[in-house]
Amino acid sequence: MNRPEKLIVDGRRLDGRAPDEMRSLKIVAGPLQRADGSAYVELGNNKVLAAVYGPREMHPKHEAEPDHCILRCRYMMAPFSVEERKRPGPDRRSMEISKVIREALEPVLFLEYYPRAVIDVFVEVLQADAGTRTAGINAAAVALADAGIPMKDLVSSIAVGKVDGTVVLDLTKMEDQFGETDMPVAMIARRKEITLLQMDGHFTEEEFRHALDLAFRGCEKVYEAQRQALKEKYMVR
Amino acid sequence: MIYVQNRELVIPGQKLAEGKYTVKDGAYREGEEIFASVVGLAEVEENSIRVIPLDGRYIPKERDVVIGVVIDVHSWGWLVDINSPYTGNLLVSDYLQRKVDLAKEDLHRHLTISDVVALRVKLVDERKYVLLEGGGPGLGKLQGGRMIELSPMKIPRVKGKRGSMLKILQEIGGCRLFVGQNGRIVVWAKTPEKTAKIVEALRRIEREAHIPGLTDRIRLMLEDGRLKDEQTGKTDS
Repeated sequence: MNRPEKLIVDGRRLDGRAPDEMRSLKIVAGPLQRADGSAYVELGNNKVLAAVYGPREMHPKHEAEPDHCILRCRYMMAPFSVEERKRPGPDRRSMEISKVIREALEPVLFLEYYPRAVIDVFVEVLQADAGTRTAGINAAAVALADAGIPMKDLVSSIAVGKVDGTVVLDLTKMEDQFGETDMPVAMIARRKEITLLQMDGHFTEEEFRHALDLAFRGCEKVYEAQRQALKEKYMVR
Repeated sequence: MIYVQNRELVIPGQKLAEGKYTVKDGAYREGEEIFASVVGLAEVEENSIRVIPLDGRYIPKERDVVIGVVIDVHSWGWLVDINSPYTGNLLVSDYLQRKVDLAKEDLHRHLTISDVVALRVKLVDERKYVLLEGGGPGLGKLQGGRMIELSPMKIPRVKGKRGSMLKILQEIGGCRLFVGQNGRIVVWAKTPEKTAKIVEALRRIEREAHIPGLTDRIRLMLEDGRLKDEQTGKTDS
């Protein structure tokens, strides 16, 4: 992929979006029959499937905790999800993302309700176009609610960044690769509590505040789409 | 102040009420405010509020009657799978309701691996260690019939108000049912066709549990089936 001359032309990004505009978002709750809970998310060209099993008996048993449930997350990219074939199996990047997804979701779960048990969350990226961890968190939160697991709220997530000196919402692969900054944010949208914040690149303080504000607004839209997806599953047709 | 209607579909994190209501299952309190913690139907009573979950695992409660499958035989009794994150423990004396000389009696004679058995939950401690017991009307080894598993959260709907749905299923469907609180149901019918029809009706209850007017739809479905059987001369009397 070659760097285009400009990533923002006349205030519009390469795909025609305004800086504070999100890509199209589609969420389906419960597409999988066999899992306890599941969700499918399309964020622009990202296609992510999440499945939840549990609470179930912890194996290996020595990893169980007597007073709370363990949340285990696995983020995995399909070999065909990127342009160059990705070698299947865990690697440094996917292990890090699995960890941050777990830490983004843990604060909303009532883990103390299920001592000695485990909740498994599988996030499978079918097609990647930057922002897969945010799409993964969105899918995992809906899948957890779909599984009937008690939670304080849903977790919504979106990335913000800086491209050609402009703070933008929801970066594409091109913007992520050739832009200056990428900052994925996950939060409990209703309370504005941040559960994930990573940053690759630089922001000035002013830019950071603006970026966070954009992320808040983006997460609110994601939150609404998540709620709608869960309601649609049980809609009378 | 109540923010939802009775039987309204709610999503985790949705504000249900504010004030001095008793918070029951499926909801949690934060200061004065009460929020939903699961996807389900809000049930507002005079002084209390709760959410009837639409999905989730079975968590054992004392005095529940469950259908278990024996998975191991020990010197002290049996380990029983109760379709839950927690395995049930059944002591010999709790099952046989008498003193047992373990040196003389072979436990395999009473229950062995893969046996299906109706039991009552005797005790659940804070670590969710589950003790089961037998002895009582309807409890004990279940023989013949066909066991199916539904979502444990749909069991109250299978029973209906004061057992109304169960009565329809048994009388019009011409079968005998044993319903475990853990989502397992054993169906005894005279022909495999009748069993299949009852299983179909149970699956429909599972799918449509949250849609009003279900009892009438199931009655019609079973009456239709019975009428067709009579016309084709498939009655078994």
